[in-house]
Amino acid sequence: MTATLALEQQALLAALWADDAEVAIKNIAPYAVLARAGGLNDSATRLRRGLLAYRSHGRELAVRALQSAYPVLARLLDEDNFAPLARAFWQAHPPRRGDLACWGDALPEFVQRLPQLASEPFLADVARVEWALHSASTAADASIDVASFGLLTTHDALGLSLCLSPGLACVASDWPLVSIILAHQAAEPDLQQAAASLRAGVGEIALVWRQGFKARVREASPAEAPLLVALQAGQPLGQALAASPDLDFGAWLAPAVQSGLVTGARAL
Amino acid sequence: MPHPAGIGWRHPHYAQVLEERPALDFLEVHSENFFGEGGAAIATLMQARVHYPVSLHGVGLGLGSAVGIDAWHLDQLARLVDRVDPVRVSDHACFARGMGRDGAIHAADLLPLPFNRQALDVLCANVQHVQDRLKRPLLVENLSAYLDWASSDQPEPEFLAALARRTGCQLLVDVNNIYVNALNAQPDAQLPGGLPDPLQACRDWLAAIPADAVGELHVAGHCRVSDAQGDIVIDDHGSRACDAVWQLHAEALRRFGPVPTLVEWDTDIPPLAVLLDEAARARRSVARPQAALA
Repeated sequence: MTATLALEQQALLAALWADDAEVAIKNIAPYAVLARAGGLNDSATRLRRGLLAYRSHGRELAVRALQSAYPVLARLLDEDNFAPLARAFWQAHPPRRGDLACWGDALPEFVQRLPQLASEPFLADVARVEWALHSASTAADASIDVASFGLLTTHDALGLSLCLSPGLACVASDWPLVSIILAHQAAEPDLQQAAASLRAGVGEIALVWRQGFKARVREASPAEAPLLVALQAGQPLGQALAASPDLDFGAWLAPAVQSGLVTGARAL
Repeated sequence: MPHPAGIGWRHPHYAQVLEERPALDFLEVHSENFFGEGGAAIATLMQARVHYPVSLHGVGLGLGSAVGIDAWHLDQLARLVDRVDPVRVSDHACFARGMGRDGAIHAADLLPLPFNRQALDVLCANVQHVQDRLKRPLLVENLSAYLDWASSDQPEPEFLAALARRTGCQLLVDVNNIYVNALNAQPDAQLPGGLPDPLQACRDWLAAIPADAVGELHVAGHCRVSDAQGDIVIDDHGSRACDAVWQLHAEALRRFGPVPTLVEWDTDIPPLAVLLDEAARARRSVARPQAALA
C-alpha cells in the first residue's frame, strides 16, 4: 500500500514545478505539518520558507547545469538573459534522470521556438553543437587501431567501413557556428571576424569529435561531410565514397586519423 | 581503524590531489558525476583509486521514491561500482522521482520522506533492490529536510534504525543535517517558554540510533538565510563545520566508535589546505573523541 506516499510525492513534485509559488504552497499545505510549536502562523511561514528553498534550489541548479553544457550560449545571451532561459527550460522540461549532465538535450529546440529569440536564429544551432560537444566529452574512450587500416589494402571498399571518433556529430547550419564557438573558446577567429561572417550569412558545417579526452569542433568541408554522415549511418566505405565524389580520400585519411576523427577500419 | 577521515573530492582539486597526494584516508565523490561511459572525469577517478580508497556517494537514486528506482540509474551505478571497487557506496533516505505530465521526472534534489510504515516499506524495498544488484550493503544518509509531512508518525532515528534492521544496510549519519533540522525546528525566539537547546535534541537523536548500525559520519557547514520570505537554515556545504557540529561529531564517535568521517564541502569550495585542515580535525576526533568533547 503506497497510495498515500505516492500522492504525497506527486504533490511535492507538483508544488516544485507549479508556475505560481502561491498556488504551490496552497497545494502542498494539506500534506505538510502545520500545527507545530510556534502556532499556525509560525508553521505556515516555515512551510512557505521551506518550499521556496526547494523551488529556488532547483532553479539555481538548472542555471548551473545548463551553463556547464552550453557555455557559449550562456555568454552570447549573458547572465541576465541566460538564467531566465534556464529557469523557463527547467519549468517546461523537468529532468528525467538523476544525472543532470543528461539534462538539457531539448534546449536547442526550446531556444528555436522562443519568440523572444526569433531575431537571433543562429542561437539554436550554436546550442546543437554545444550539446554535441557536451555529449562527446563523456562518450566511450577509443584508441586508434593502426593495424586495422591494413584492411584498406586487403578488402574491397564495399566490404569494409571506418570506425569514427566517439561522439562524432555533424551539424549543418545557415550560420557560421564554428566561427562563433571557436571565437569564444579560443579567440581564433576573433569575435569581430565571427560577427562579420554572421552578418554576411556565411553557413558552416560543424564537425564535433573527441581527440583523446578533449571534445573538439572544427568546420567540416562540404566534400568530407557526406562521407562522415554516411559512415556514421553504418554504410560501407564504398557507398560513403560514392556519396562524397568531391573528396580526395587519399589525402584526407592521414590527417583524419592523426586528429582522432577516424580510429580504425573494420570488415563488414 | 583503516579509514578515519576523508574529503569530498571535487573538480577544482582533481589535479592538485593527484599531484600532491596529501595524506587522506579516503576520497569521496558523487557517483553521478562519473556516470559517463568515458572521458576525462572517469579517467581521473581511475587514477585516484590507485592511491586512495574511494567512497561513492550518490545523490540521485531517490531510494524512497514510490515509483521505484530508475533502472537506467542503477545500471550506471552498477557499472561504476564495478570499475572503481569503492570502499563504500551510499545515498540518501529521500525521494526524487515521480510522474510528471508525460513520464517520470527527477527533482535533482533530496526530498524528504514521511516517517511512517508506508514510506519505510518503500524505502526498504528499494534499498534491498539496489543492494541485490550491487551485491553489497549500502549506506543510507539522514537528510536535512525543509518540509515535515503530516503523515509522519515515528521519530526519524527510529525509522532509520528499522531501515537498517530490515535491509542490513548501514546508516550514514550526517551530524550537520541533524543540527540543521534541530535549528529549523526551533520556534520563534519571541514565543513564551524560551528556546529549547538544539544540541540536546541532536544528542537525543543520536542516542536513538543503534550503535552498530553506523558506517560513516558526515560533517559540513550550513548557513542561515534571512530574507523577505522568512528565516531558514540551509545545509549548503559551503563553509567550515561550526563548533556545535564538531561537538556532535565527537558525541557520535563516542557512541558509534571510530567511524570513518567525511568532510563535505560543495559550494564556495576553498583551497585544498582548508579541506585538509578540516579532515585533520576529523581525524583527531576519530582518534580521541573524549578530547574533542572537552
